[in-house]
Amino acid sequence: MFRSLLRANVARSAMISQGPVRFYSPSNLSKTAISSRVIDVIKSFNKTDASSSNPTEITMESSFKKDLGLDSLDTVELIVAMEEEFSIEIPDKVADELTSVAQTVDYIKDHTDAS
Amino acid sequence: MSSVPVPTRRQVLALYKQFIKNSNQFNNYNFRQYFLRKSRSTFKESADLKDTVQVTNMFNEAKKELGILKRQAVISQMYTFDKTVVEPTLKLNHTQ
Repeated sequence: MFRSLLRANVARSAMISQGPVRFYSPSNLSKTAISSRVIDVIKSFNKTDASSSNPTEITMESSFKKDLGLDSLDTVELIVAMEEEFSIEIPDKVADELTSVAQTVDYIKDHTDAS
Repeated sequence: MSSVPVPTRRQVLALYKQFIKNSNQFNNYNFRQYFLRKSRSTFKESADLKDTVQVTNMFNEAKKELGILKRQAVISQMYTFDKTVVEPTLKLNHTQ
């Protein structure tokens, strides 16, 4: 009856000796999937130059400020939209340094468990 | 006055983010859009402020307002509202 309990205990002590173990799965989104979703979020964000009458192409190299014509407040709004899309939290420190599509994609890929 | 630290650019943007996030919490379309618009225009208006005293005052004022916004957003979630015609009713569209 208590054998399973015992086994669990053994397993737990083995785990402690090995150091911390992650039990959540890493983000399995591919880079292409993330970039296409990021670009979709930007497209549906109606303050960019890409949503004007003569749309600019959004590429990985697009800079929020230079190519998309966003000011710092717009960028904050865009970051919030990204957070909602991927259900993640981007710290202010990082958000301040995200200035292009590629940087955003890389951050989401490498530092979060986006879904 | 100099004893009060002047908020940095990052702090102001962080505060703006809180405004946007909390405005998004409103259930009612009209309130939600109003607060998004209002936060944006208020921050935009004071974007050019140079005077440190004024900046600090605005920052503290905005902090108080954020408190009100948070409370109201929570309260708004306690009541249900009918959807307005401009809001997409996804579920209905799928079944019909």
